[in-house]
Amino acid sequence: MSRRRATISFVVVSLALVIAFGTPAISQTPKAGGTLNITQREDLPQGFAIHETSTISTVWPAMPCLNNLVLFDPLKKTESLDTIIGELAEKWSWQDNYRNLVFFLRKGVKWHDGQPFTSKDVKYTFDMLREAPDAPAKLRINPRKDWYTNVQTIEAPDPHTVIFHLKRPQPSLLMMLASGYTPVYAAHVPPANYRTACIGTGPFKLKEWRKGEFVEYVKNPDYFVKGRPYLDGLKYIVIAERGTRTAALQSGAVDVAFPGETTKTAAEQLKKAVPELAVTPYSQNVNDNIIMNMKKPPFNNAKVRLAVSRAIDRRALVQAVHQGGAVVGASMAPKPHGFWGLLDRDLNALPGYGKPADEKPRAKQLLAEAGVTPQNPLKVEMVTRAIAVYVDMASFVINELKQIGIEASLKQIETAQWHATATRGDYQIGANLTGIGPDDPDANYFENYACGSPRNYSFYCDEQVMKMIEQQSQELDPKKRFAQVAALQKKLEDDAARPLLDWKLDYFVRRPFVKNLIPHQSIYNFGRMQEVWRDK
Amino acid sequence: MVSPIGVPVDLVVVGAPARPGWGTVLGRFVRRKPLGAIGGAIMVVMLLTAVLAPWLQTHDPIATEAAYTLGRPNAEHWLGTDHLGRDIYSRIVHGAWASLVVGVGSTLLGSVLGGIIGLLSAYVGGKTDLITQRLLDILQGLPLLVLALVMSASLGPSIRNVIIAISIPIIPRASRVIRASVLSIREMQYIEAARALGVRHLRTAFRHILPNTVGPFIVLCTAQLGSAILVEATLSFLGMGIPEPYPSWGRMLSVSAAEYAQKAPHLVLFPGIAISLAVFGSNLLGDALRDTLDPRLRGSR
Amino acid sequence: MKSYVAQRLGIAILTLVGMSIVIFTLLRLAPGDIVDILFSTAGYVNESEKQAILKELGMDRPYWIQYLDWVRQILTGDLGKSYRYDVPAWDVIRPLVPVTIELAVLSIIVAVVLGVPTGVISAVRQDTALDYVLRVFSLAGLSMPSFWLGMVIILGMVSWLGWIPPLTYVRPTDNFKAHAIQFALPALAVGYRSSALIMRITRSSLLEVMREDYIRTAWAKGQAGRVVIWRHALKNAILPVVTVIGIEFAFLIGGLVVTETVFNLPGVARFLVQAILWRDYPIVQNLVMFIAIVVIFSNLFVDMLYGVLDPRVRYG
Repeated sequence: MSRRRATISFVVVSLALVIAFGTPAISQTPKAGGTLNITQREDLPQGFAIHETSTISTVWPAMPCLNNLVLFDPLKKTESLDTIIGELAEKWSWQDNYRNLVFFLRKGVKWHDGQPFTSKDVKYTFDMLREAPDAPAKLRINPRKDWYTNVQTIEAPDPHTVIFHLKRPQPSLLMMLASGYTPVYAAHVPPANYRTACIGTGPFKLKEWRKGEFVEYVKNPDYFVKGRPYLDGLKYIVIAERGTRTAALQSGAVDVAFPGETTKTAAEQLKKAVPELAVTPYSQNVNDNIIMNMKKPPFNNAKVRLAVSRAIDRRALVQAVHQGGAVVGASMAPKPHGFWGLLDRDLNALPGYGKPADEKPRAKQLLAEAGVTPQNPLKVEMVTRAIAVYVDMASFVINELKQIGIEASLKQIETAQWHATATRGDYQIGANLTGIGPDDPDANYFENYACGSPRNYSFYCDEQVMKMIEQQSQELDPKKRFAQVAALQKKLEDDAARPLLDWKLDYFVRRPFVKNLIPHQSIYNFGRMQEVWRDK
Repeated sequence: MVSPIGVPVDLVVVGAPARPGWGTVLGRFVRRKPLGAIGGAIMVVMLLTAVLAPWLQTHDPIATEAAYTLGRPNAEHWLGTDHLGRDIYSRIVHGAWASLVVGVGSTLLGSVLGGIIGLLSAYVGGKTDLITQRLLDILQGLPLLVLALVMSASLGPSIRNVIIAISIPIIPRASRVIRASVLSIREMQYIEAARALGVRHLRTAFRHILPNTVGPFIVLCTAQLGSAILVEATLSFLGMGIPEPYPSWGRMLSVSAAEYAQKAPHLVLFPGIAISLAVFGSNLLGDALRDTLDPRLRGSR
Repeated sequence: MKSYVAQRLGIAILTLVGMSIVIFTLLRLAPGDIVDILFSTAGYVNESEKQAILKELGMDRPYWIQYLDWVRQILTGDLGKSYRYDVPAWDVIRPLVPVTIELAVLSIIVAVVLGVPTGVISAVRQDTALDYVLRVFSLAGLSMPSFWLGMVIILGMVSWLGWIPPLTYVRPTDNFKAHAIQFALPALAVGYRSSALIMRITRSSLLEVMREDYIRTAWAKGQAGRVVIWRHALKNAILPVVTVIGIEFAFLIGGLVVTETVFNLPGVARFLVQAILWRDYPIVQNLVMFIAIVVIFSNLFVDMLYGVLDPRVRYG
């Protein structure tokens, strides 16, 4: 054809393609107005004091009231360093080879009580979190103190600039600051007040917390992002009974489910009853794992630990205990959900991921090498929390261990005693559940695998592994870091430090008119509600 | 015996009344109190189910079967399966065992302990009686469920502890009934006579008074059994009753039944029906026994 | 009479003191305390931080000092601070009380409205088919776990009507219709159960009175049957019924706990369970004592009423 025709065809086709595929994901224009009813699984344990708890029951309803320095983009489903956007910080930059992190804060931001927001609030919050010797306030309970061990000092040279001086380079610090776990508290409010009320800078102002019933928010008219939030209000309704929660979702009494609380089967049932419900499966960044006390026999013997890991058929567990609502993976959340997941071929090469017909005999052989035989059997006590889903998981594992010659009895520990029991090492083997804030190796490994960490319930301590953890933490080249983290995951599973069984999926249910509420690969990070709007 | 004129006659012995055999007593009971008989039959069926559970089950009650979750009742799973694929019929059968062990165990424990306390307290009388009754008042002042809840929280989850927790509120109630019964008997003439004859106290207590309290005691037990089963179910429902892995009717209702009730209503229906039947049976039986054994108590608590 | 009242009052107070010791001790026997639970929501444990919080809450003092402190607080009308919510206990409990009281009163009304007439009918038509049916019906109410009844009601509504009662408390002033619906169903669930007992007592006490000589005399004299019953029998049969209603009020608590949980009503009973799970000692202790006081004084009141209404029983 002629050149002119070809050009015109090309332009037309390109235009068509651009129109068809090039339009942004948000194809509708958000409308302002309306309120949402959101499920709350239990009454808030410590009110809005996110810094004093780790439970989603506090983070989920408290996030709308607060702001971070930076946050994971609510509209992007997979979190990573590339999806971090600014909230109270307008711009930031790493200086001195990732040793200093400078934040340029937004101007004209006000707290809900009218006080101006300045760098003083940021310095106050993070000095308190890292328990600096001259910190003006102290948290009664400080679960994430370890996130800030690398912070040397925090400087606030002027009201709109904050500088974090680190001891060594740590690109992951940004990931931890972007998690829902890291809001900024007001310097003029004692931290204890957050347990009863919330003074934040966030898109919603607290209207009322009727204990045991609901938390109600209204739109913050002075919010620093113009045109946000879209919604006029939010209501988090406390429904403690599972059955009533499901009934509420089905009847439309609530519009949004509670993250982490809807199993695959429940979601299927809801979808069948109300086909227009939107169900989104996603990984919660919560995994099932086995902890083994390495300070005492028999689990101080690496062969025994490896035998336990090999004996458990992870894929069968996913089916039996979670009805398919989970995925197998190593110590970082697997692909396609997590950013650091091992590639399939690496995963399948790990101990315990082969065919059960191969793995179980190898497990038996390992046990024999460790001196365990039918004449000299191994009897242990497995502990777990006294909650149905944990007990189901533990029962499955006990059954698997039976098949290789380990007799395990089950002991249930009350929730209030669990952490104390595990931290003290008052157990032999346990079926455990671990939730991690951001999908980041630093957040995971320092907490759960580092020598001497209180949550390293297995008392695992390996010098080489510590070196690997420190190394990846300071690695600036993303490709190199990915390879180092992959090697770390392999080593941890080979050592059977804390055999990982599966990563749980949640099936987030919401009414179809709820827009822009996108679950991320961590339940703790997407509750800000700033971008959410109602289509009806 | 043959009479002098060759016609067979039956000799009737005058004096001692003929004692009716068990069969006659039972037959009389069934005819006069048909509701009570039904109640008794239900309890017997439950007892047999509990005792024969391992033989009556069709599947292992704790074995999960991922492929067949929330299945409707059919030929293989008579009452369907739950969210983990466990057979509901087998779990109900074993639940009978758990509920009966706890129900009967706590009722017996509470009633016997309370009965002994009531018996001794009434017999000794005086200040000891007064103090004991006040102490028991303290226990009784708290509503049954609240006391059981707090006890259960204090003792921790285990079948033994649940039995203890439920038996504690029963003790004062049992003691009160037995004490009233003993007080009324104590004044009777033949006790005075026995004591006048110099029969030792304990002997008097156990040989003469005790057998007469059997009636009220049985009535008390059957009355409390129903409420014990209900309290156990409630405790399990609230998460503080019989722990895993024992199947418990109450817990079957709490954990996931309501959540999946749309797809599998049998999850909610069958355990609830089982609990109701058990309590219903024991109440029917208790009512009938009370009417038969102790007419004075007819119609009261 | 006065000394009788004084004596009963004195015993009541002693009983309350005893109960306070029992509940205080039982709670502290339970494994784990509020601090353990707070740390469990944070996902870790730290001994020094734990000690600091125990000190802040006053829980590190010897038990007998804590007990005396609590008694002193009650006597001065201070209900203490909730361990969980960090606010005065009364502030948390106050909005819950009207809900539970309303539910309790409505349940008793349902129980009486359902129980007394059926008891009367059953007694008058004794041993007929109707009697049996009514007795079975009421016994079924006594046998069903009230939480199960509640669950079945809610699930039935969702399945057939696609609707559930309001999940948050609706004040009668805000929307009376919704409020009525919200309370009607749980009141029915709890009331049905209580009605069974009331029905049985009504029936049996009426039967007993009907056998009395003076009733038979009246019958023999030929007065119309219904008049006989209503004027003589019922008046005398009402006494035990009133007693039972009084006692039933206390027994209601058990039914209220689960019903409030299942129907998501923010009442005192449901809150008590939560407080026990959270080892919120001030709340549990004060609520249990409150229940005990209500029970003891309602028993006392009923005894007095009995004494006043029935001259035969006046002397204790």
